[in-house]
Amino acid sequence: MTDTIAGAPVQAPPVRPRRAGAGTRLLRVYRTEIAIAAAIVLIELVVSLWSPQALSFGNLANVAQASAPLILVSLGVFLVIATSGIDLSVGSTFSLTGMVAGLGLSAGLSWPVACLASLGVGIGVGAINGALVTFVGLAPFVVTLVTFAVGASLAFVVTDGHSIAILDPDFWRLNGGTLVPGVVNYVLFCIAGVALLEFALRKLVLGRWVYAIGSNAKAARLLGIPVDAVRFGVYVASGLFASFSSLMSLSYISNSEATSGANLMLQAIAACVIGGASLFGGTGSAIGAMLGAVMITVIQNGVNLIGINSFWQGSVTGLVILVAVLIDRFTKARA
Amino acid sequence: MTPFSMTPSPLRGLALATALALAAAAPAAAETKPGKKFTVAYIAPSLDISYWQWVAYGAKTKAKELGIDYIELDSHNSPVDQMTNVRTALTRGVDAIVMGPVSSASTPPVLRLLKDKNIPVAFTGIGPQPGETDYTSTVTANNYEAGREEGKFVCGLAKERGGNKVGMLSLPQDRENAQKYLKGAKEAFAAEGCDLVQVLQTKGLTVREAVDQTNDLLTRNPDVKAIYGMYDEAATGAAKALQTQGLVGKVGVATADGSPTTVRLLREGVIQGLFLQEAGGQGIEAVQQVYNALTGAPVTKELPLPEPLVTAKDIDSPEAQAKLKRVYPPSAGQY
Repeated sequence: MTDTIAGAPVQAPPVRPRRAGAGTRLLRVYRTEIAIAAAIVLIELVVSLWSPQALSFGNLANVAQASAPLILVSLGVFLVIATSGIDLSVGSTFSLTGMVAGLGLSAGLSWPVACLASLGVGIGVGAINGALVTFVGLAPFVVTLVTFAVGASLAFVVTDGHSIAILDPDFWRLNGGTLVPGVVNYVLFCIAGVALLEFALRKLVLGRWVYAIGSNAKAARLLGIPVDAVRFGVYVASGLFASFSSLMSLSYISNSEATSGANLMLQAIAACVIGGASLFGGTGSAIGAMLGAVMITVIQNGVNLIGINSFWQGSVTGLVILVAVLIDRFTKARA
Repeated sequence: MTPFSMTPSPLRGLALATALALAAAAPAAAETKPGKKFTVAYIAPSLDISYWQWVAYGAKTKAKELGIDYIELDSHNSPVDQMTNVRTALTRGVDAIVMGPVSSASTPPVLRLLKDKNIPVAFTGIGPQPGETDYTSTVTANNYEAGREEGKFVCGLAKERGGNKVGMLSLPQDRENAQKYLKGAKEAFAAEGCDLVQVLQTKGLTVREAVDQTNDLLTRNPDVKAIYGMYDEAATGAAKALQTQGLVGKVGVATADGSPTTVRLLREGVIQGLFLQEAGGQGIEAVQQVYNALTGAPVTKELPLPEPLVTAKDIDSPEAQAKLKRVYPPSAGQY
């Protein structure tokens, strides 16, 4: 269609497809995460019908505190899963880190030194996992199953199975202090971890490499992506997240136990799957993993608040995972 | 002959050599030499739990004192592993067995096997299946009586704090000892006029889980004035939750078991009562009973050990200190 201005033909501007607004784009990109967040709110509302205190500030703070270690572990596990790997060793890395830190603190090390030394456990386990998977070519399931077993065993060995009470009065600051005024550290570390990881995954080349490797490692290699280095890196990051999470938890509980991470591995994998990650790699987000971890904690909290036998928690969580996977499958099939 | 059997294989050779070596070694190990030292096996249900480590410590200490050789096997909470351990112990030529069974229901096949071999067996912690009689001795805690006494004490704590509502952090109720604790506690609460508003069962026996459960318990029931702990980590977790919420002293706590951590919390006034369960003492008495059976001395078939209450006032008394030394080893921490 043409128009005229002072007799001259004027070409109408081409009709451009309307650019989606930022809100619409966010809705599209984070559709799964928004659905999980809505489900969490719904669960809390349902629980509040039985126990009105569910929505109290105190309870929400409890849920935040209880979910913090799982969130941090899940972030690391998510990175590995996004590259189509698996890390079964995070639970025993968590336990071993706590025992090593407890040993260091009880031997008189200052807490920052003990913490830094203990982070070496996660880095070490992650490096072993990464090296065996990447450079030796062993299956991630087998490698991390081995480090899981060895780590769980070493957690007992280092203190002969005894738990250690942490008596350093300043150590609690790691979890309960406030590096940023008004924001307690465990919340700060979780938000910072999720934000940094999400930014890296969405905006940095490194993040795209992670998804590319998870989607098709062979194609990624042909494209010149340093597959081995990235894979090695995500296992180290996973170990580091597990160790840091353990130190946060230890700072809160003030007691190191050799079995402290026993249930974390399955919960972290579940959190990632609930959060939209595929065990075949290439999908999901750090925000999703965080929300998955929060959902698991909210379910545990809700079961206790309603007064259901806590043995049902596993069944409820299992059902939620199934529903999450089915919804994901159907939405992807329709898209 | 099949082609398979004709084909020489280094692996098959190795397997054959191993089988021959084992076949030659087994009868030698099982052979009873005249004048040899007795050997006792302690078969633990799960050595990743401090309680069973401490039973093991008691058994080992007593065996050394009596000049008996000692071996230790872990059933990893599996009846199958337990049966395998019994057979392994017999292969190694033990003269007696001290066992913490994985459950009462798992004991009949063990007892049938040991009766055939004429091996004395003493149970610790968990007794045999009701109706079974072919055993030397059962050394357990008097859980029912302890449950009653602790219930009475916890109810008193609640009343001192101006209420009558109590909560409980329980062992899994599929265990006979947990059922006895609960039965005794419920009777005491009814008799003393207290209301047991919620029972939360542990799955992982960790402090972390107990912290979360205490938070949930107090969120749902803000009028709870005292918490009944059925295991040591329950009190440690409850104490941590109370410290975080500023409720120390406002909500009373008592627990069964006893450890360096709960002893410290008792001294600090964070918890008010400990019902000491002689983990080490059970190992000591059980080894004594099988030794008596081997040497023809009288044995005591049922040996329930009392669980006396200690408070901050009497923890340093000679009686309480002597009792503590039968709970956990010096390597676990301070008395």
